[in-house]
Amino acid sequence: MDVLGHLAGGFAAALTPTNLLMAFVGSLLGTLVGVLPGLGPTAAIAILFPLTSVLNPAAAIIMLSGIYYGAMYGGSTTAILLNIPGEVASVPTCLDGYPMAQQGRGGVALGIAAIGSFVAGTFGVLVLTFFAPALADQALRFGPPEYFGLMLLAFTVVVSLSGASLARGLAMAMAGYLLALIGLGPATAEPRFIFGFQPLMSGVDLIPLVVGLFAVSEVFLGLEEARVAIAQKIHDVFPRWADLKEAMPAILRGTGIGFILGLLPGCAPGVTVFLAYDAEKKLARRPERFGRGAIEGVAAPESANNATSSAGFIPLLALGIPASAPLALLLGGLTVYGLQPGPLLFQKNPQFVWTIIASLYIGNVILLILNLPLVGMWVWLTRVPFGILGPAILLLSFVGAYSVRNSMLDVAVSLVFGFLGYWLRKYQWPLAPLLLAFILGPLLENNLIQSLSMSGGSPLIFVHRGLSLALIVGAVVLLATSLIIVRYTSRRVREATAEEMAL
Amino acid sequence: MKPAGRRCLDGRVVGAVLLVLGALGIREARRLSLLRESLVAGAIVGDDTFPMMVGAALLVLGGYLLLAPPPPSTRVAWPSGPLRRRMLTSAATLIAYWLLVPWLGYTAGTGIASTALYRGMGGYRWPVAVLLGALSTGILYLVFRVWLLEPLPIGLLGA
Repeated sequence: MDVLGHLAGGFAAALTPTNLLMAFVGSLLGTLVGVLPGLGPTAAIAILFPLTSVLNPAAAIIMLSGIYYGAMYGGSTTAILLNIPGEVASVPTCLDGYPMAQQGRGGVALGIAAIGSFVAGTFGVLVLTFFAPALADQALRFGPPEYFGLMLLAFTVVVSLSGASLARGLAMAMAGYLLALIGLGPATAEPRFIFGFQPLMSGVDLIPLVVGLFAVSEVFLGLEEARVAIAQKIHDVFPRWADLKEAMPAILRGTGIGFILGLLPGCAPGVTVFLAYDAEKKLARRPERFGRGAIEGVAAPESANNATSSAGFIPLLALGIPASAPLALLLGGLTVYGLQPGPLLFQKNPQFVWTIIASLYIGNVILLILNLPLVGMWVWLTRVPFGILGPAILLLSFVGAYSVRNSMLDVAVSLVFGFLGYWLRKYQWPLAPLLLAFILGPLLENNLIQSLSMSGGSPLIFVHRGLSLALIVGAVVLLATSLIIVRYTSRRVREATAEEMAL
Repeated sequence: MKPAGRRCLDGRVVGAVLLVLGALGIREARRLSLLRESLVAGAIVGDDTFPMMVGAALLVLGGYLLLAPPPPSTRVAWPSGPLRRRMLTSAATLIAYWLLVPWLGYTAGTGIASTALYRGMGGYRWPVAVLLGALSTGILYLVFRVWLLEPLPIGLLGA
C-alpha cells in the first residue's frame, strides 16, 4: 500500500472517538503542563503514564504524544507573559515576546507563537509521513553491528543534552547505563547488581525513575521559587494581516532551520531555537529592533522549536532513536506496550504507526484551536497557587510510581531519585543524559553482545561492515558538530539569561 | 534564601560516587565473567562485557571529576529559614507517607499525607488543608481504584 493509502487508514483509526478524545486530552494536558511552571513534558508523561494502562497502545501513545506536543505549544505563554522560560527552548522567545507583552501586544505574540508552531508542526509531520517509511525501509537491512552503530549515533544526543559541561553529561549518562544494568542479564538471565536484594531482580523501572528525577525534584525546586501568576489580561490573540505578513517569512525560515537541524540526533530544540533567532536577526533590515519586541523574534524560535520537536519523531519512529528526554520516554512507552521501536515498527505494526502519524496532524489542529481562542483560559489557570499544585503533583507522583508494578519499592525509588535529582539540578547536573542512557542501555548492550558473538569477540566487525562503519563515522562527525553547536548555544544562553541551563 | 552559597564541592562528591560505582561495576563484571567461563565453555562475551565497559568509563569519569577544577560559575544558594523548614517538612511527609501506606492503607495514608502536604507546603490553615486533602484523596481514589482498578495497598485497617 502506498503512503497515502496508509495515511488514510491511519486517519480512519485516529478519528475514532477514543483516539480523538485521547488526542484532545493529551493536547489539553500538554498545554496545561507547558503553561504551568512546575512540571515539564517529561515528568508529565511519566506521571500520567499509568492512566494510559486502560487504553490500547495506539490511544495511549496518542495521548502521550499530545502531552509532548502541547507542552511545546504551551511553553511560550510563560516566556512571553512572564519572561520565565520553562525550558531553554523558550529563552529566545522571552527576548522579544516579553517586550511585546510589555507594550500591550502579548496577545499578538501568543497568537504568532501558536500559528508558527502550527505551521512548523504540520510541516514536520508532513515530511515525517513521506520520509520516515523510506528511512525505516533502508534500516531494515541493519544487523546487530549496524544497530550498535545506530545506538552510538543516538548517544551523540547526550552532547546536546549536557549543557555547558560534557564531562557532567557523560557522567550522568554512564550512571544511567549502570542503573539500566540492574536486574537480569540478557545472555544468561543471571542477576546483576542486586547484591542479594531480591526485589531488584526485575530491575529499576523507567517510570519511577523519571517521576523522581523530573517531577519530585521539580516540585522542590518550584517551592524555592516565588512563582507568580500572570496578572495581564489577554486580548487580540488573532494577529492582524500586517502582523502575519511580517512574521510569515520568519515562521518559514524558523521551520526550515528547526526541521533540518532537528533531523540530526545531536540537535535538541534548545539548540535550534537560538540558531533560528540569530539567523533572523542577521537577515533583518533593522536588527536593532530585536530584543525590543520584534515579532520575528517570537515567530522564528517558536517555529524552530516545534519543527525540531516534529522532526524528532522521524528518527524515533523510523530508527528508534530519541532526540530528547520526552521522546526517550515515548520510546520507553513503546517497549512497555510490547512494541519494538525502530525500523521493524513500520513493518510489524503499520496500523499503529500510521494511526500515530495521523494523530499528529489532528493534534496540531487541536492545539491551534486550544491555543488561539482559549489562551485566556490558560492564563487564568496560571493563577492556581503552587501550594495546591505542588502537593497535587507529589500525590500523583506517588501513586503513579506505585501503580506501574504495584510496588512500594518503586515509590521508594522515585523518592530517592527525587531528592537526588533536586541536589543534582541545584548544581546544574544535566538529568536528560541519564534518562537517555537508561533507555538506550539495554538496546546498546544487546547489540554489542550479539555483534561480538558474531565476530568471535573481535570489535573489528563494526568497521568491516560498510553500513556500521558509516554509522560510527556519522556518530563521530555528529559528535564534533554537536560540540561546536552546543558551545555556541551555551554561550548564547549565558548571554540571554546570565546563567547556565540544560539544553 | 542566602544570596550566595558555599563554593561547591559537587564535582568531587559526584566524582567519588562514580569511582565507587565504577569499582562496583568492575567487581560485578569479574564475578559474571567467572560465571560465564564456568557455564558456557568458549563464550567470549556475555553479561559481564557491558558492565566491564561501563565500570571502566565510570572510573575514568570519576577520576576526572575528582581531579578537575570545578567550573567557576557553580555557586549554589540553598534555602534557609522558614523555606528550608517547609522543604524539610515536605520531604519528611513524603517519607512518612511511604512508611505509613503499607500499614494504614492507601486511602487513609493519602488522606493524612495530603493534608500534611497542603498544610506544610502550601501553608493553608488546618480546616482548608483537611478539605483539600480529602478532595485530593477522593479524586485519586476514584481515578486509580474505581476507574483504573489499581490494587492499591489496603493496609492493616483494610482502607
